Amino acid sequence: MTNEQTMMLRRLSSVQFALAELTIFLDTHPNNAEALKMFNMYSEKYERLMTEYQRKYGPIVARDSDGNTDWEWINSPWPWENTKEMRK
Amino acid sequence: MWQYEKKLQYPVNIKNPNPKLAQIIITQYGGPDGELAASLRYLSQRFSMPYNELKGLLTDIGTYVSKLKAPLSGRF
Repeated sequence: MTNEQTMMLRRLSSVQFALAELTIFLDTHPNNAEALKMFNMYSEKYERLMTEYQRKYGPIVARDSDGNTDWEWINSPWPWENTKEMRK
Repeated sequence: MWQYEKKLQYPVNIKNPNPKLAQIIITQYGGPDGELAASLRYLSQRFSMPYNELKGLLTDIGTYVSKLKAPLSGRF
């Protein structure tokens, strides 16, 4: 995995973490304006990053696979195989 | 309904595998009184929860903890 890919994954993971935390907070504070604003901001970031990351590095979610050439979902690396020795 | 994301929660690069530490962490997660058991209880109990805030909370915490499983497999 290149540095650039790792960095992009890190950014995506950060945004997802923020969304997960905000989700749980908003469940018990559903009218908190500031939290809602943050949630919407991170949602937008999430969409942008997902689109960009998947365009560059392949599908993270099966549904976003590009089925035009082959079923790359099974052939792109799986998360537990990130070392060169483990990949076939 | 849930969907699978083909990524870890955080990118990981294990330099020094530590099976003893792995066992402790996996037990905290999947063992007796583990997080996974708790999350399955939350996901079951939400159906009889009368308050929307708490239906949401039980669902979302149950979901969040269930997601942690994938990063733990084969990382040590």
